[in-house]
Amino acid sequence: MIDVQDLTKQYAGRTAVNHISFRVEPGEIVGFLGPNGAGKSTTMRILSGYMPATSGRASVAGFDVFHQSIQVRQNVGYMPENAPLYTDMKVKEYLRFRAELKGLSGLSMRRRIGEVMELTGVTDMRKRLIGNLSKGYRQRVALADALVHKPRLLILDEPTNGLDPVQIRHVRDLLRSLKSKHTVLLSTHILHEVEQSCDRVVMINQGRIRANDTPENLTRQLRSTTLLHLEVEGNGPMAEKLNALPGVRKATEEPLLVHPWRRFTLRVEPDHDVRDAVLSLATEQKWRIREMHRQLPTLEDVFVELSMNAGTPADIPTHVL
Amino acid sequence: MRLFWILLKKELHAFFVSPVAYVVLALVMVLNGFAFRAALSVLESAPSEGSIVSWTFHAMWFWLSYFFIFPLLTMRLFAEEKKLGTLETLFTAPVRAWQVIGAKYLASVIVYCVLWLPSLFNFKFAHWISAGAVELPPGAMAGAYIILVAMGMFNLAVGCFASALTSNQIVAAIISFTLSLLHFLLGVFIMVVGHKISDTIVEVVNYFAATEHIRIFTAGLIDSRPIVYYLSMSLLFLSFTHHVVEFRRWRP
Repeated sequence: MIDVQDLTKQYAGRTAVNHISFRVEPGEIVGFLGPNGAGKSTTMRILSGYMPATSGRASVAGFDVFHQSIQVRQNVGYMPENAPLYTDMKVKEYLRFRAELKGLSGLSMRRRIGEVMELTGVTDMRKRLIGNLSKGYRQRVALADALVHKPRLLILDEPTNGLDPVQIRHVRDLLRSLKSKHTVLLSTHILHEVEQSCDRVVMINQGRIRANDTPENLTRQLRSTTLLHLEVEGNGPMAEKLNALPGVRKATEEPLLVHPWRRFTLRVEPDHDVRDAVLSLATEQKWRIREMHRQLPTLEDVFVELSMNAGTPADIPTHVL
Repeated sequence: MRLFWILLKKELHAFFVSPVAYVVLALVMVLNGFAFRAALSVLESAPSEGSIVSWTFHAMWFWLSYFFIFPLLTMRLFAEEKKLGTLETLFTAPVRAWQVIGAKYLASVIVYCVLWLPSLFNFKFAHWISAGAVELPPGAMAGAYIILVAMGMFNLAVGCFASALTSNQIVAAIISFTLSLLHFLLGVFIMVVGHKISDTIVEVVNYFAATEHIRIFTAGLIDSRPIVYYLSMSLLFLSFTHHVVEFRRWRP
């Protein structure tokens, strides 16, 4: 559905998107993840035909985004960041205008407008001026607009931005229900969202793709950096002894708790469980353990790690790439 | 073409739901009234060569309205969309830039034409209550309104261009006002220094001078040259607008 090859976009000397390539297959829901300013919106604007790339190629539904812009736009429902809308129009009026622009007409148009209003929950607001709507409702109107012409591809730039938790859940359910009819590319920085609703995650930072995999795979691969938190009572160079255990990559002592308790964080090698070994060591050394807990990585850790890792791709652990 | 009508309908709607059209209409009517009154008093005082039409459009009041109409009508066309961010939604719908520009421009031209309808009523009314004593020469009437529309089309195109340059409506209004004023001052320049400079220069400048065009047309002389001039200049500024709007699509 989307095929991006070696895409680059430069603004006045600043590179926003740097030679990225990825594909999205029909029927997939793909999450586009990255910190602010990573190049998400730029990529989406290029894909929706709003502006051209500096170099590289991108096609949507088989049409080139630059040379066949009109065909691309007919097949894409795009919802820009912050849901810009005409504030002097009423909800239904606006959707009617947009539907007409996108080639709908007559009875089928009216029926479809009713459908998308129902789907996004703005039916009760249809006679209200958009300027008087809350942010959440504006977001939904923009979503209704993106859906109105039954596009094959939906590109949603932060669709849940500014919504309350109930509305977020609503949008998430909506996206899942759309899966059979549409391919979805959505950007967000709420990780929970992606874990809940996306088949695949493309992580982008500083204009480069840092990871491209299913949420499960990403978190599993990150298990290499599983952390073990430990609170023990004991004396001497405990960190060194913990470090000597097979499978422990690095043990660091955290700032002091109440004496004599000490706190350690162990970074553990992939596919190792060192809890037993730690326990044996403690028994042998006559340490008293009052807490030991293993922290499984979340997508958030992947995200933070990638966001912090702002350097060249060489800095990124190879197993994530 | 279908898309063009949809866009035009939307633009006209935007004009008439906002107070802008009504405020401008009210102001133009007031100033028109003063201009008309000034013309009547000229005719009252002494027999005159000019008709009521030519005196009305020579009044200072007329030129006062001439300047604020264009910035007020055009300033929001693109600037507002840029500010709201709706230019992005608009241009990710399957529309072409010329359809959007054409619709916005034509909507402003239509509103502009509506502004002059009450002045037509003034003339007819004066003719009617004076039982025909106030003459309305058909040539002068036709000439006056033709040149009004032609000048309007040019200045509205300038305003369109100014609005596309910025996301700030005030800045757009000032640019459009300045460009219109500069154009107008050409004619004033001739009026002030015309007798001191060579005739060739006067003649050349008169080709561009709005005051001169009004003088000729309201006298009932319909000359095709100013019409061609204004229409081609409108097209020029609309093509500038197209370039500005499509700027984001430029490839290095």
